[in-house]
Amino acid sequence: MQELRDLAKKLLLDKQVNAILGYEWDRRGARPAFITEAGDCDRLVFDHRCVQNLAAYLSPRRANIAQLGRLAVVIKACDARAVAGLIRENQLKREDLVLIGVRCGGVVVNPSDSEQLNAENIAPRCVGCEQREPTLADHLVGETQSAPVGKANRDLRLSEIEKLNPEERLSLWTSLLSQCTRCYACRQVCPMCFCERCIADKTQPAWIESSPHSRGNFSWHLTRALHLAGRCVDCGECERACPAGIPLGLLNHKVARIVASRYGYAVSDDPSRETPIGSYRLDDEQEFIA
Amino acid sequence: MNNRRMLNKTDFEDFVDSLLRAGITVIAPVRREQGGEKVEYRPIHSPAEIVLSGQPPVRPLKEVVFPPTEPLFNWKQTKASVQIEEVPTEFKETVVVGARPCDAAALEIVDKVMGWDYRDELWFGRRQAVTVLSLACPQSDDSCFCTAVGLSPESTRGADWFMSSVDGGFEIEILTPKGEKLLERCKDRCRETKGRTNAMPSLDAKVRANLNIDPGKVREWLEKHFDDPLWSDVALRCHGCGACAFVCPTCHCFDIVDELDGIGRGQRRRNWDACQPALFTLHGSGHNPRKDQTARFRQRIMHKFNIYPARFGEVLCTGCGRCIRACAAGMDLISILSEIDRKSAEEGA
Amino acid sequence: MNLYQPQLMRIEEIIEETGDTRTLKLQFENPSVAEQFDFKAGQFGEYSVFGAGECTFCIASSPTRKGYIEASFKEVGKVTRAMRRLNVGDTMGFRGPYGNHFPLDEMKGNNIVFISGGIGLAPVRCVIWNTLDLRDQFKDVTIIYGARSVADLVYKRELQGWAGRSDVKLYQCVDPGGETPDWKGEVCFVPSLVEKAAPSAKDSYAVVCGPPIVIRLTLPLLEKMGFAPERIYTTLENRMKCGLGKCGRCNVGPYYVCKDGPVFTSAQLKALPPEY
Ligand SMILES: Cc1cc2nc3c(=O)[nH]c(=O)nc-3n(C[C@H](O)[C@H](O)[C@H](O)COP(=O)(O)OP(=O)(O)OC[C@H]3O[C@@H](n4cnc5c(N)ncnc54)[C@H](O)[C@@H]3O)c2cc1C
Ligand code: SF4
Ligand code: SF4
Ligand code: SF4
Ligand code: SF4
Ligand code: SF4
Ligand code: FES
Repeated sequence: MQELRDLAKKLLLDKQVNAILGYEWDRRGARPAFITEAGDCDRLVFDHRCVQNLAAYLSPRRANIAQLGRLAVVIKACDARAVAGLIRENQLKREDLVLIGVRCGGVVVNPSDSEQLNAENIAPRCVGCEQREPTLADHLVGETQSAPVGKANRDLRLSEIEKLNPEERLSLWTSLLSQCTRCYACRQVCPMCFCERCIADKTQPAWIESSPHSRGNFSWHLTRALHLAGRCVDCGECERACPAGIPLGLLNHKVARIVASRYGYAVSDDPSRETPIGSYRLDDEQEFIA
Repeated sequence: MNNRRMLNKTDFEDFVDSLLRAGITVIAPVRREQGGEKVEYRPIHSPAEIVLSGQPPVRPLKEVVFPPTEPLFNWKQTKASVQIEEVPTEFKETVVVGARPCDAAALEIVDKVMGWDYRDELWFGRRQAVTVLSLACPQSDDSCFCTAVGLSPESTRGADWFMSSVDGGFEIEILTPKGEKLLERCKDRCRETKGRTNAMPSLDAKVRANLNIDPGKVREWLEKHFDDPLWSDVALRCHGCGACAFVCPTCHCFDIVDELDGIGRGQRRRNWDACQPALFTLHGSGHNPRKDQTARFRQRIMHKFNIYPARFGEVLCTGCGRCIRACAAGMDLISILSEIDRKSAEEGA
Repeated sequence: MNLYQPQLMRIEEIIEETGDTRTLKLQFENPSVAEQFDFKAGQFGEYSVFGAGECTFCIASSPTRKGYIEASFKEVGKVTRAMRRLNVGDTMGFRGPYGNHFPLDEMKGNNIVFISGGIGLAPVRCVIWNTLDLRDQFKDVTIIYGARSVADLVYKRELQGWAGRSDVKLYQCVDPGGETPDWKGEVCFVPSLVEKAAPSAKDSYAVVCGPPIVIRLTLPLLEKMGFAPERIYTTLENRMKCGLGKCGRCNVGPYYVCKDGPVFTSAQLKALPPEY
């Protein structure tokens, strides 16, 4: 922790950046912190409750954050993939940011969880995460920790769902999606949902009905999942943000598995890596056209 | 006859069962399909589903009277002529069992905006059809602050029956004519009682420890501080979604949209909306009166703690804590209100 | 029938005002509704195209002209685009009248100065005709109007008519570059035209509507010329949905613009946060 604070202080005092975007404690656990004074750097913390993907704040559309000036951002390995995505998709320039990588031993699902990290509360994405330290970083702090073996197994859950017949599957998703009220928390917290105007907000034509009825919700969720195919960095923020408890992570995971099997692509923290959605190859499978 | 009754647990369950058998919709907190401990207000099919203990439902009771989406009317068009088909403004009898006091009170607070000058028949039609049985709050957490906004874990506001858990059952206070009508349905099951004999210990002190402010002072401060560094500081974190408003029992903003059901027919609907997304106030010209999240987040606090009180005489918040629990960014109304309280004391001194 | 259900109206006439602005003359389909309908100058309505949605326009015709209403609209988005596709004889929806109005009774016996820019003339036109139809109850009537270019002037026929009246003082301008060879009015911005016209503030009321920039520059100018802020009226155009003080969208400061407005005095605006 001290290493992180000292580094942040130095970056501010040397005027390398105008603000540090990191984590701090509040009453109920960890929350994002925006620190502009070197004297406040001792507020910075990092541990298994620092769940949030701070890359969401880096979208050029966040006018009030852009006003802060040049930023240094605390990122975990999974967050680094989002920063890479933003660079790859021309939302950010690498040189405009200082990236403070933190070594991480997994995080909990809920930042106000007061328990130690354990098999029950570890975030699904951390189960099986092999990275644990971001390669895309200017500084690396903290020590490598091992993560507990988690119980959540999305592959298992997916194969259970895949075993259902189409009607059963439809009724499962109809019931889950019926709870969506279209608050768009899932979109707003997503670092990769950075569009100036989301297709869900377009009205001419209204591609996606804004009403939270079955028709509207299915179009929203299909579109959201597809627009994030090969782009979703599996940070889990959408599912965590959803007040309706919709297992968005499952949808994302399913799409990621399809992208992996069809295109041999797994989302990466290398900004120069070509993505399936952003590139075209003659040998891409295209049986759906024929 | 006084207005207090005692109903033991099995009689209570039989009573709920009799309502269901009479074709009345019964809504109560039940476990989410996939949500572990989390509960939601949902229509039930059997009294066994009801979960009266634990955390409050994630989403508020408001959707029972104000659905997330509802048709305002249907229309059909043939050539140039249009026919409008009305939607009913009378609704099916519904009984809510185990409403949280913070949810029941919210209905009365929102009645004010729904009924001033113009009366919203869809809201009041459902209000009329819904009988609310509140339960003395069984569990609070670090997000609750009802006591700071003039309510309490035992507030009877907005309730037709107020129920307290006692050994072996519930003690019931009948509060309204609607409540008396419902009592008719279980007269032979309950017996008269004097008063809260054996009620569970109140959570009052525990909730008070979360936040203790004077909403009047907060309002005075807000009146004077449209511009304050507080706004730009706290709003940095906010993602501008609708989660806080959609889980809020008192938020009532909505959008009106047209949708087609086919060629030449469709409906106009109203859908929940919120003041946090940028689109809420965007003008046709591209001008946006609340241009950034600082302005939009300030509106949330201003509307609840200054504008609504000025207009309708009380804050638009029941301290239910849902917005705090729901916010992915860790926006914390308790911290914000205590910061305002601190600033106001500092300036007052 | 609930609050949100509109009355049906038939389009009687479509008048092309400019390249992107049209006026629709509308009549209620139901004769008894038409009979009972009444409104005051400055009020607005929610107009709708079935399948596209609703939007807010002021009632641009005068309450003294019974049997129909007019709305002038500029194409900016979904509903206004759909409105442009409608023809004479087509059906629209209308809810209203909503909101407050200009205090015409209070203004009687005084001079009135109307100032507006672009399509801002729509709400002002309603009061102008209301005033002119009761002409002997007012003293001097001055109309100061400007648009970006000659092509952007709305209500051209009426402007000509007002120019020809001896009981109306009409000043017109277009922005520099917007003039045509035969343009006889001034070439300047609306605030400069106000300075040139120099209306007297004595026993006068001002009604100012237009794009935000016209309002922002003109209100202080009028005050400098001696108009009391309580006697300068304008309208706000916050985005609206319900028009009934329910949906929360039009809220600015303590006001619901749809109920407490859209007509406000300059004095009221001064006390408002700049969220309009
Ligand atoms: C009291 C009052 C009186 C008024 N009087 C008049 C009047 O007399 N005449 C008049 O012309 N106007 C008037 N207005 C303004 C008028 O209400 C609006 O111009 C109108 O509601 C626009 O509706 P719309 O459906 O065409 O636009 P919308 O489609 O709702 O679009 C509005 C804006 O939303 C955004 N938007 C929507 N869809 C898209 C998309 N697909 N892509 C990108 N951006 C998008 C854009 O910024 C767009 O300009 C008045 C307003 C008020 C409040
Ligand atoms: S879709 Fe969800 S998991 Fe994927 S990047 Fe966005 S917020 Fe993260
Ligand atoms: S966060 Fe959940 S409720 Fe909100 S729009 Fe996304 S899926 Fe729907
Ligand atoms: S306060 Fe939280 S829930 Fe509300 S808009 Fe901001 S991010 Fe969303
Ligand atoms: S503002 Fe928050 S605490 Fe207050 S009623 Fe709404 S959700 Fe509950
Ligand atoms: S806080 Fe915002 S969303 Fe909630 S009622 Fe007020 S204006 Fe509407
Ligand atoms: S337009 Fe809905 S409250 Fe004013």
